[in-house]
Amino acid sequence: MKFIGSALRLAMAGALAFCQATFAHGPVFDCYIEGDNQVKCEAGFTDGSSATGRKIHVQDPSNKVLLEGEVGKDNTYMFQPPAGNYSVVFLGGAGHEITIQSSDISR
Amino acid sequence: MTFKRKLLQALAATTLTGLTGAAQAHFQMLYLEETALQRAEKLEFALVFTHPFSGGPTMAMNEPRAFSHSSSHGGEKVDLRKYLRPVEWQSRDNRTTAYRASIPRELVRSLGDHIFVLEPEPYLETEEDVYIQQFAKLIVNVGGVPSNWAEPQGLPVEIQPLNKPYANWTGGVFRAVVLADGKPVPFAEVEIEYVNHSVDLEKNAFGQQDYVTAPQASFKAQNTYADAQGIVTIGLPRAGWWGIAALDIGATKTYKGKPLSQDAVLWVQARDMK
Repeated sequence: MKFIGSALRLAMAGALAFCQATFAHGPVFDCYIEGDNQVKCEAGFTDGSSATGRKIHVQDPSNKVLLEGEVGKDNTYMFQPPAGNYSVVFLGGAGHEITIQSSDISR
Repeated sequence: MTFKRKLLQALAATTLTGLTGAAQAHFQMLYLEETALQRAEKLEFALVFTHPFSGGPTMAMNEPRAFSHSSSHGGEKVDLRKYLRPVEWQSRDNRTTAYRASIPRELVRSLGDHIFVLEPEPYLETEEDVYIQQFAKLIVNVGGVPSNWAEPQGLPVEIQPLNKPYANWTGGVFRAVVLADGKPVPFAEVEIEYVNHSVDLEKNAFGQQDYVTAPQASFKAQNTYADAQGIVTIGLPRAGWWGIAALDIGATKTYKGKPLSQDAVLWVQARDMK
């Protein structure tokens, strides 16, 4: 009985964790130009969970990765923008990818 | 004092609007068009002390004591008083001083919640010779990332939301805790009023057309009480802006030798499911 109860609890916890990771949140990402012409990006999820450690790519128009970094503990990532057009990609997990074009990044 | 205030409000309303006049509540409006933003943008605020269901009369505001902003990033309170500018606001019944503020995008571009707090100068209600001071709070969200929307702001009187004030469907239920000095106020008297007209930020005016007609005077301001834990629960039967005011809950009871009612106001926006 105890084993069955524990197994059920584990199964339920697993199902809940899976649901949360897959469905319960969506990624949010935005970038803007700071005072010293650095680009600051913020990443997060709609359930309030942290994006710390998630990858960010800065790419040229042919999708060549120019810069690769990680979201910091404050849910931000800063970089010196490359010359010309570029895009910033937040890799927030499976199905959780968001791309912002440099033309949409302003102060 | 609350009963006396209501009685005098009713008498004043009757005087102003004739026999069909109705009891109506003072509300310190802290208004902008949209609180749930996809991306940060410049925010255009209107600060008007009025009777929102009837669109007036509007009471003259003096320069606010405080107007501040805090977000989850850094957490520190930013003084916004330098953005305030007095305007002449046209209500249904009169034209008087209100305030506008244009808050630059740079101050609100962080993802998450942005809490705006207004502490006005106490207003002397001359008919009853008492001061009213309504601490008003409004919460804006950028991007859909939740952060500090539920955190009290350390005000003498305050309504602490238990639902996000910017993410409510029409027909939903909204809950909040009435606080004085950070502690719940059991059975606090609460008024709820709907902004029953458009707000024209171009003309600094309320629209002349009512959205709905109250079938009888008591429908203009809804009245209820917090429960034993200080929690108030309201419905949101129509899209738009709803003001919640907890009356006379502050510890400070006098100002300039006259009675003072310190009220807490929270603004809630509801959206249709469509």
